[in-house]
Amino acid sequence: MSDVVLQTRSLVKHFKSRDGAVRAVDGVDLQLRRGETLGVVGESGCGKSTLAKLLVGLEKPTSGAIAVRGQDMVRLKGGDLRRARRNIQMVMQDPYTSLNPRMTVGDIIGEPFEIHSDVVPKGKRRQAVQDLLDTVGLNPDHAGRYPHQFSGGQRQRIGIARALALKPEILVCDEPVSALDVSIQAQVINLLERLQDDFGLSYIFIAHDLSVVRHIADRVAVMYLGKIVEQGHDVAIYDQPTHPYTQALISAVPVPDPRLRGRRDQIVLEGDVPSPADPPSGCRFRTRCWKSQHVCGEQEPVLQIRERSPHPSACHFAEVRRVR
Amino acid sequence: MTDIKGQVDALPGTDPRAPLLQINDLHVEFHTRDGVAKAVNGASFWLNPGETLAILGESGCGKSVTAQAIMGILETPPAHITQGEVRYRGVDLLKLPEAQRRKVRANRIAMIFQDALSALNPVYSVGFQLAELFRVHRGMSRGDARKRAVELLDQVRIPGAKSRVHDYPHQFSGGMRQRVMIAMALALDPEVLIADEPTTALDVTVQAQIMGLLAELRRERNMGLVLITHDMGVVADVADRISVMYAGRVVEEAPVYDIYARPGHPYTRALLESIPRLDLKGQQLSVIQGLPPALTDIPAGCAFHPRCRYAKDPCRQDPAPPAYSIAPHRTARCHFFREVLGE
Amino acid sequence: MSDTRSRSLAGDAWTDLRHNKIFWASGVLVALILLMAVVPSLFTSADPAVCTLANQNQGPSSTAWFGYDFQGCDVFARTVYGTRDSLEVGLLSTLLAGVLGLIVGMAAGWFGGVVDAVLSRLTDIMLGVPLLLAAVVFSGRLSSPFEDGVFAVTLTLGLLTWTAAARVMRSAVITAKSQDYVAAARMLGAGPARLVFRHVLPNSIASFIVVITILLGTNIAAEATLSYLGAGLGGDAISWGLQIAEARNYARIAASPLVWPSVFLAVTVLAFIMLGDAIRDAFDPKLR
Repeated sequence: MSDVVLQTRSLVKHFKSRDGAVRAVDGVDLQLRRGETLGVVGESGCGKSTLAKLLVGLEKPTSGAIAVRGQDMVRLKGGDLRRARRNIQMVMQDPYTSLNPRMTVGDIIGEPFEIHSDVVPKGKRRQAVQDLLDTVGLNPDHAGRYPHQFSGGQRQRIGIARALALKPEILVCDEPVSALDVSIQAQVINLLERLQDDFGLSYIFIAHDLSVVRHIADRVAVMYLGKIVEQGHDVAIYDQPTHPYTQALISAVPVPDPRLRGRRDQIVLEGDVPSPADPPSGCRFRTRCWKSQHVCGEQEPVLQIRERSPHPSACHFAEVRRVR
Repeated sequence: MTDIKGQVDALPGTDPRAPLLQINDLHVEFHTRDGVAKAVNGASFWLNPGETLAILGESGCGKSVTAQAIMGILETPPAHITQGEVRYRGVDLLKLPEAQRRKVRANRIAMIFQDALSALNPVYSVGFQLAELFRVHRGMSRGDARKRAVELLDQVRIPGAKSRVHDYPHQFSGGMRQRVMIAMALALDPEVLIADEPTTALDVTVQAQIMGLLAELRRERNMGLVLITHDMGVVADVADRISVMYAGRVVEEAPVYDIYARPGHPYTRALLESIPRLDLKGQQLSVIQGLPPALTDIPAGCAFHPRCRYAKDPCRQDPAPPAYSIAPHRTARCHFFREVLGE
Repeated sequence: MSDTRSRSLAGDAWTDLRHNKIFWASGVLVALILLMAVVPSLFTSADPAVCTLANQNQGPSSTAWFGYDFQGCDVFARTVYGTRDSLEVGLLSTLLAGVLGLIVGMAAGWFGGVVDAVLSRLTDIMLGVPLLLAAVVFSGRLSSPFEDGVFAVTLTLGLLTWTAAARVMRSAVITAKSQDYVAAARMLGAGPARLVFRHVLPNSIASFIVVITILLGTNIAAEATLSYLGAGLGGDAISWGLQIAEARNYARIAASPLVWPSVFLAVTVLAFIMLGDAIRDAFDPKLR
């Protein structure tokens, strides 16, 4: 179980803008093992979607390295890169915009085979598409239909089928259920879990919904303004969070149990996330943090195991606080 | 505040004992290319002052259409209110003359939306938009109206309200924009505030701020709050009572504690069970099989029967189950509510 | 899969069109007009070049349905025979403008950056050129008084009218290329050709088609205008524009030579616009 399929080192992505560089992703190190699910949580603007795009090659990193099975994706070129890319695919957030409305579902799912023509011989592609539809729980006879004839949940299944076509080992799921209704969310999450078991997939599961991530992830990385602020096993993050941001985030999630009303340890953060074009000096969370002291503005806290944090946490004053 | 209220004509037929807002058997249809879509199919609920009623449901259940029907902002056509009542303090708004109806809605019922950016006019400063309300509806002078606008922005806890009043909507962050919209909604001191998915587009930490603000404002002003949402976590946090909607009907209505402890309708129960929970980690999430029905083709009998694990023959036949009174202050539209409750 | 595909978009569009009354109405009209352009002798036995002054300004009769014009020519025959040159100029100039607009718009939208800046400025400059004035000068240069001027007018109109199509195409391409499904295809390793022709083009062509069908109408009308102004067709050409130009001076004596070519012109323009509309709708699966 310990073999690493995906690793990033000091991954950085800066976007040029009128007000200088937007530091969308600013030094991210992560590791994904075979068959594992790494949850990445954070609020909008924290860089989690940019991270997803970097991982699947939709954006080029400003610096840093992405290694898939030990191969540096940033350095690879041409055919080698194309082959390596097959191994890491993405399920996108919006099932309504991620499918070409003018292509039939069969063509959408079959497109990977046309692009990588050596994967499945021409004569067998039709069958392969039908198998994929079946795998994700859709009627194979519906290959001739158009995306708009399907519901949101079904469309997301189509997106998953397309991502699975090239038999990748790694799936980057960027908010795969956030556009779906609760009852449909559960269906898609169950599908993702079943596929993981059947095909030994590894997931990077990006979401803002902490309860969904908690359900599906083995390990969790919490992002804030382009950096990972805390990382650890799901139990560690949810039950013994040590970074103030993680604590605030968890406490802000409404719990579907009215009996806990008023009895929960609710940390309501002041203000909004600062602009990633001009992040605060030192610790980026200090402008909203109740623990902030002089040192936080001077010295950037490193993501590491600390005296009072049994798992890596990027806070000078990291300390376990159980929030519920 | 009372003198402002006094300026609004007292409505004939106002019943002091009636609920603040009462919806009876509301039906809304849309005429589409694919036929008649029955978006709301006999929705009924009521709201008292100072109370938070959550209308819970998934997309397409008719919760937003109901709100739009109450507010009178449905596009007609394609929408038609074919039947039902919208009673404000006992007076049926649908039967009032247009001018009077508009006056009631402008002054006493307000609404906020999910997408604050498109609800605000991008070419005017937020201060101007707020002041405009006071000038048009309260006949205030320019200066007074501006002063009230600042006060209001202050009340929704916008830091530096005095300087921000000159800013344009796009200059505010998502959370702040939502506050501006709340300020606009509260400008004319409404007695009912309808919030349609007010925090869905926001991050959780901002969501917590906004929900906290809404709860505070409701208490301060003794407003009735109708919270339309799909988020069972938010509902558990703030609602007093819940109406669960499915396929255009309220299938269950109950106080919040009761419904989470013991749901009385299979749909409510299934919804609650499909939330990822800590103690069930690693297991399959329980799912509701299938999809909600197309509104042009709602199943006979109980609309939920094709997806229901309790369904038996009576469920598949018209008429739809009535709203059984299953406990004090609780109703459920399920023939087999006893089984669902686990009695 | 290719057989499934050809069944899909084009096949489904056809199924849809078959039930569309507007398509049939405009389709039949367009077919009729085209037929008239190709074999005008099917519609009239009269020779448009044979004019007898004795018939000057005679009203409609069973032999000449639309009467005779100032020169004593059969108006119906001339209108029918005029279809060819009018349509030729309209279709060919629109084709030229369409190809130019498509290429410029696609390139500007797809490549962005410097390419976009240069092409967009070029488009703006072209938009700034007053069409009729430029056409009067330009086609006057190109044509000699002894030719019919079809080539000159076509070239002129084609080179001057592609801007609207280019602009529409550019913005549609910019919208389409930022869609998630394009990113999804790119992620799968799709090359630029596939991205453009499979994903971007089919999703940005709709408004282009509308602009082009409208352009076809306006170009047919523009030929008429140019001919009317004396900068269009000449020599032995017969066109609706020329007819209108000649008839305008005698409109009070005989309206028929003015009215009928105008009606043909209007109906033709309308038929093409409606046909374009119907086809565009049919290729949008969401409207089905």
